[in-house]
Amino acid sequence: MIHAQAAVPLGRGRFTELSLLIWVATLAITGFVAVLATETSSFRPTAVVVPAVFLALMLSLHVFLVGIRFRGDQILLPIAAGLTAIGLVLVQRLASDLLLQQLSWSIIAAGAFAATIVVPRDLTALARFKWTWALLGLLLLIAPLLPVIGREINGARIWIKVGPGSIEPWEAVKILLVIFFAAYLEEYREVLSHAQRRIGPFPVPPVPYLVPIVAMWGIAMLVMVFEKDMGATVLFFGIFLAMLFLATGEAFYAIIGLGLLILGGIVAYQLFGHVQARVDTWLRPFDEDLRFGTGYQLVQGLYALANGGLIGVGLGNGMPDRIPIVWSDFVFDAFAEEAGLAGAIALLALYLVFLYRGMLIALRAPTMFLQLLAAGLSFIIALQTLVIVGGNLRLIPLTGITLPFVAYGGSSLVTNWMLVGILMRVSQVSERMRDGGPS
Amino acid sequence: MTSPISANIRSLTLTLALAFLVTSIGAAYWTVLASDQLANDPFNPRLIAATNDRPRGAIVDRNGSPVATSEKADAGFIRSYKDRTLAQVVGYASPKFGLSGVEAAYADSLIGQDPADPVSIWKARYLGDRAPAGQVLLGIDLKIQKAAADALGGRKGAIVALDPRTGAILASVSVPSYDANQVVDPSKQDAAFDQLSHSPDHALLNRVAQGLYPPGSIFKVVTGAAALENGFDPTKKLRVDDPYQADKSWGDYFVRSASHAHGLFDMSDGFRLSENIYFAQVGLQIGAAKLTDYAKRFGIGSTPNLDLPAAKGQLSDSGSIDRPTLLADTSYGQGELLVSPLQMALIYATIANGGVMPTAHYATEVRDADGHVVRQIAPGPQGQVISPNTAKTLTTMLVGAVSGPGAFAFGAKIPGVNVAGKTGTAENRPGEAPHGWFVGFAPAENPTVVVAVIVENTAEGGVTAAPLGGQVMRAALGK
Repeated sequence: MIHAQAAVPLGRGRFTELSLLIWVATLAITGFVAVLATETSSFRPTAVVVPAVFLALMLSLHVFLVGIRFRGDQILLPIAAGLTAIGLVLVQRLASDLLLQQLSWSIIAAGAFAATIVVPRDLTALARFKWTWALLGLLLLIAPLLPVIGREINGARIWIKVGPGSIEPWEAVKILLVIFFAAYLEEYREVLSHAQRRIGPFPVPPVPYLVPIVAMWGIAMLVMVFEKDMGATVLFFGIFLAMLFLATGEAFYAIIGLGLLILGGIVAYQLFGHVQARVDTWLRPFDEDLRFGTGYQLVQGLYALANGGLIGVGLGNGMPDRIPIVWSDFVFDAFAEEAGLAGAIALLALYLVFLYRGMLIALRAPTMFLQLLAAGLSFIIALQTLVIVGGNLRLIPLTGITLPFVAYGGSSLVTNWMLVGILMRVSQVSERMRDGGPS
Repeated sequence: MTSPISANIRSLTLTLALAFLVTSIGAAYWTVLASDQLANDPFNPRLIAATNDRPRGAIVDRNGSPVATSEKADAGFIRSYKDRTLAQVVGYASPKFGLSGVEAAYADSLIGQDPADPVSIWKARYLGDRAPAGQVLLGIDLKIQKAAADALGGRKGAIVALDPRTGAILASVSVPSYDANQVVDPSKQDAAFDQLSHSPDHALLNRVAQGLYPPGSIFKVVTGAAALENGFDPTKKLRVDDPYQADKSWGDYFVRSASHAHGLFDMSDGFRLSENIYFAQVGLQIGAAKLTDYAKRFGIGSTPNLDLPAAKGQLSDSGSIDRPTLLADTSYGQGELLVSPLQMALIYATIANGGVMPTAHYATEVRDADGHVVRQIAPGPQGQVISPNTAKTLTTMLVGAVSGPGAFAFGAKIPGVNVAGKTGTAENRPGEAPHGWFVGFAPAENPTVVVAVIVENTAEGGVTAAPLGGQVMRAALGK
């Protein structure tokens, strides 16, 4: 349970942030040194330049926040920086030719973060344009299906071509979705949670108010089926259920929703080859017909975990490179092989602290829109972590969701940093309210 | 600050925190609890990679002659296999397809991390300080192995020879075989492995321990043992009239005699002339419960303890003998029985060994890089299955089955040595030629070798197999 009163007060200076960033610097430097020490190939200068540039970047973000007298949260930035640093170390370890790309993405992400801190003058005003966000989200969702700009990569059609590369619009959609849901639910919370009619124990909300939400979900589901991305479907649906529960407190919605998801899963299993392959691989990856086929990646990931033991084999000493596409899908297993159970739990703890901090901001937020916004955004990070780590650990079927901040991938890194920016803005609003200043 | 949704935020946070707890437990399961099992999984590339930059331990026969060694190649070390007839036993160590055979079963020993030496495992894992690889010594004797391979020639089937006193396997041939060097050769591995895994002849299968066949007449020793231990008088003559049925309820179902016999048979006659109708009647007299009991004691339908993969076979489709005709058929080795050559060799080894069943094993010793013994592999006996007296009586009858007048297994005779043995002609699926069996041991007074031979789909059945058994025993006895 979180008790807002018992939590660390959000201080006036940003010394907490600075001291935590020193810890991030230690992490990044030791990480890169450890990987360099075990690397047998010739020395590349990028290995020194990258951590230096990254640390300078984080420090300048801190200086920027101090400079504009930003008074919000001081914990989220160091956590995001620490996770991004772990991500860079792992990219150097697992796919060093992608290192410069990932660094460029972190620079863009830092820029996007700074923009989020400065640009929207009034956060609450976002709620007024909720239908704009819904429409924009829909357009972005459909974009990959369009002929010229859409692209299919690794079996999922969730990319659009931008210049020489591709981006995943889904990543932006998840934030737009939370803003829309937060605004919509704030407005119609009363009617949704105090249903006049009940069928047995089941509340039946007035249909017209539920229509836009269900329609949004239905369209998203359809698009996801055509884009063949189970991970995004689960995340999309998860946000929908969580926001509905946050607004109404009706656990019934969540239970029915989970039932629908499982039902949809069973139907999809019957209808779609790609869903069937995923589930079969999850249930029996070691079977002879799968271990060299669709189960290969998962089995190699489990071998990596097993090699990790309690304290890991040490950065650079394991063989996580045997896992195909390890840098985007299986970073958690790779990290656990070399950092062990201790490292894996420490990593999960970072996400847990992020979640608690985000939810704390939600609890302290002055309006219901901001509360729903902060809680929804924190939920995204937690759910994404649970879904991909659960897939890596064979607790649930594997989906192509990225491990927030850590996994290689630009779209994801940029949007997650923007998400941190929005959370910090919400915390700032609460601070100003407390001081009695203008919000 | 309280708001109507504060409680909801707290509940959601708590739920997610619980999910994080479950996830951490999942991580603990794979990294710690399941770690040992997965670390030694034959397909784990870490086991093979541990020997990429250094020689993997050699696999040698009982006299120290190498059957698998590591040789320097362009990219690290590559395995070299010396004896194609041992392909399914020795297996392969492929960076791509994983490990099989002894390469898999003793994978940790072959990279210098034998379980008997936990310090070496600890040092390799946490200090990256790997001990030089040791050797795995097999019970195989290349001289006997060659005799067995020559005896079988190109015919599909299997031969296994083992020492009944220790259970050490002296020779193990499974035809068709394959060239494991192709499976580890980077330029040929894909084509070779693809062809092998789709081969209709199942060349990757170790027919000795994994091949399942109906036993036919070689199973009669089990019926004989069950009868002898339950007060059945072996000298009592039973009337044999071909064709036989116990009563009219069998309808048009009959047990047939291979020699269309009419006359009086005692148990030695039954073994010597391999009379189905005699053993069908013995089985019906002692009953299904006792026959089932002895079949299970002899290991029918259960996986033998072996350091390589082994099949378990079956007593019947349902696992029990539930009707008189099935009891009659099972008593002379047909019905729905399925056995591996190794299981049959172990049954005869039990008789040879005074009623004590040995535990079969391919490897006998693990040595470190300096040649010191790290571990002896000498699994103790499985236990007393039948009394020494029963074993002795059966041995006498089995000697008669090889050298008595008109004996079916005459082909296994060795001049100057008493050989005990039994042929079998196992009826197969309709339209397919029967399988020919011989299982025997020598010298009968003090047996040092048991041989089981199966030749698949041979018109003459056991008559084909018996001389092959004789050749292998001769090689083992140095005659």
